[in-house]
Amino acid sequence: MVTEAVTTMDPAGLKAIGAGLAVGLTGIASALAEKDIGSAAIGAMAENESLFGKGLILTVIPETIVIFGLVVALLIR
Amino acid sequence: MLDVKQMSRAVIVGHKSIFEETVDALHKANLFQIEDFNEDGSGLHIGRPFEKIDEVSKKLIKIRSIASLLGVKDVESKRKDAESSVLSNLDATLDKLDAELDVKTEQKSKLEAELKELDSLKKELLPFANISLDLDLYRGYEHLAVFAGNVKEDVGDAVSKITSAYEMFYDAKEGTVVLFVSKDKATEVADVLAGSGYRELRIPAASGVPSESLKGVISKESGLQEQIESIDAEIESLKDKYADFILASNEILSMEAQKSEAPLRVATSDSTFMIDGWVPAEDFSELERIVKEATNGRAFVSKQEMTKADEKIVPIEYNNSKIASPFQEIMDLYARPVYKELDPTFLIFISFPLFYGMILGDIGYALILLAMALGIKKMISSEAIKPLMNILIYCQISTLIFGVLYGEFLGFSLASLHTEHETISGLIPGFETINLFASPVGDEMITFPIHRTHLVMTMIIATALIGFIHINIGYLLGFINENKKHGMSAAIFEKGSWFVIEIGLLIAVLGYVAVLPSIATIAGVVVFLIGFVMLLKGEGIKGPIELPSLLSNSLSYTRIIAVGLSSIYIASTVNLIAFEMIWEPGTPVGVATIGAIIVFLFGHSLNTVLSIIAPGLHSLRLQYVEFFGKFYEGGGRKYDPFGYIRKYTEE
Repeated sequence: MVTEAVTTMDPAGLKAIGAGLAVGLTGIASALAEKDIGSAAIGAMAENESLFGKGLILTVIPETIVIFGLVVALLIR
Repeated sequence: MLDVKQMSRAVIVGHKSIFEETVDALHKANLFQIEDFNEDGSGLHIGRPFEKIDEVSKKLIKIRSIASLLGVKDVESKRKDAESSVLSNLDATLDKLDAELDVKTEQKSKLEAELKELDSLKKELLPFANISLDLDLYRGYEHLAVFAGNVKEDVGDAVSKITSAYEMFYDAKEGTVVLFVSKDKATEVADVLAGSGYRELRIPAASGVPSESLKGVISKESGLQEQIESIDAEIESLKDKYADFILASNEILSMEAQKSEAPLRVATSDSTFMIDGWVPAEDFSELERIVKEATNGRAFVSKQEMTKADEKIVPIEYNNSKIASPFQEIMDLYARPVYKELDPTFLIFISFPLFYGMILGDIGYALILLAMALGIKKMISSEAIKPLMNILIYCQISTLIFGVLYGEFLGFSLASLHTEHETISGLIPGFETINLFASPVGDEMITFPIHRTHLVMTMIIATALIGFIHINIGYLLGFINENKKHGMSAAIFEKGSWFVIEIGLLIAVLGYVAVLPSIATIAGVVVFLIGFVMLLKGEGIKGPIELPSLLSNSLSYTRIIAVGLSSIYIASTVNLIAFEMIWEPGTPVGVATIGAIIVFLFGHSLNTVLSIIAPGLHSLRLQYVEFFGKFYEGGGRKYDPFGYIRKYTEE
């Protein structure tokens, strides 16, 4: 008799992959957005140091993307 | 509490004969910010500096150049000299110091020049060091040509083919060759040498055997070095002796210069002066009294009506209690408020540490950072560092409170928790988690202490709700600001419309989920539409575009739990690696124990640094982006009164 090996995937594994993708991809997205803003903000600060506060705010605006990713990952768990 | 200091515009007028007395009094009072005068064709002119300015600035340049030469640093002085005693012997001491320093620097530069000469001689001597031939023998021949230089290989064989009448010294290590041949063979020999990469060296201008001269040069050099060092030490002792004098006289002269230059900012006519500027409203009578007293009532101080144009240029002075004042730094980092605007420093004083504590919430880190902040504050008495450390201390107090609430210590849970699937043992034996009540969301149980890792859904909803409240406080402040600046109707349309929209949405949703009768859904939509139209009228097309931000801004506050959880996971991973993977408590103590402790210390010091940056930045961002965006404009000018805060002298 031939027995067929049945492989099933543990749903927990898929969940973990999903959570990983949520954090990882949003992290990359935030990084891409922040790198441009960050370098521009530093450039502006070199001209006028009092722009530090505004530069900081503009730089961390895309951070929300990865925070949402993190929240989604927590919800998937 | 939420207002900046009230300011008054004041004008001081008097005869030029009392100009100096008036400026002196204003400078001493340190209350009045002079508004620079621009010539505008009204017949008034910018004043001329007081006569003593030439002398003062000459001395000031001298003292500053001495200070930079000696490297006198701006430090906290232990003692304060009386101004009169510094002034009385300023000229004499300054001349004496200048003369002493001149002698020293001259000596030093002379020695340094000698040292340089010796150094170049040394460089010339070095290639000849291994050739023990007296340097006098290198020159003064009639029939001999002397070649001294570098070659790449031994040229003895090649030269011997041309002539046998030669004498050669060769140092294979340095590649130096010294060759004596008769003059008639010189050109041929030169060709041979050129083939071996010959480069001529200058024959050192010394006598005796090179190695001996080299020794002499080196010993002379070290002697000179010692002399220079002793002069440096003398200069250093001059610095120690005169540092206080330099700092004190620099301060006094700077003040004098500031006063002497004041007329350049003031309107004058042939015989009168008119100083225009700002004074805090509460200090106006004080200013009046000071000026009257200094001039025997001959100068007049009058309060001016503040015009609309004035409101844009009023200098801004914060008006906060001492406890909340460190947070003015956070405000300045963004922008100072403008005159007719609420100063949110006090609200930041509450919400910034609150969010910071909610994110970090760990007793261990709170204690470490608290000790660190207190230590730094005690050690460094810099005015720039102090407010930052105070902010850190406030944040750690909040972190400590939330740490107790969350029951966390360096990533360990203090209380033990029993869930359906697992039992997590706590750090304190016998401390059991108490179930309080079931959370309305996510099938979770609210407990004490709150286990954030097991209450993710509840915490996400809770933080978003906190965000919603925070944003609405922002809209409320925006309403007040708008009312102050542009009147009630603008406030209602621009900021009030948001409340109408929120109420509409709330009624509609409650109707939809059948908490309220279904007619409420329609009513809610109607209210929402009213709000929408109001917003459109108030903000234009920009309003509806910002509508989704109501949701995204609230969700942004979920970072409070998200960043907090990431911090817990880092800490507990460090604990897991140290005390389960490397060494488990209870097993024999050995090398692994040391490894575990190293990992534990390293991991947690890393996370401590992250514990300042991550919660700090995120908490700051919630203030700046989500909160300030709703009401704050900023861009005010700093109140910087005419005067000087003495550090090294007293009257």
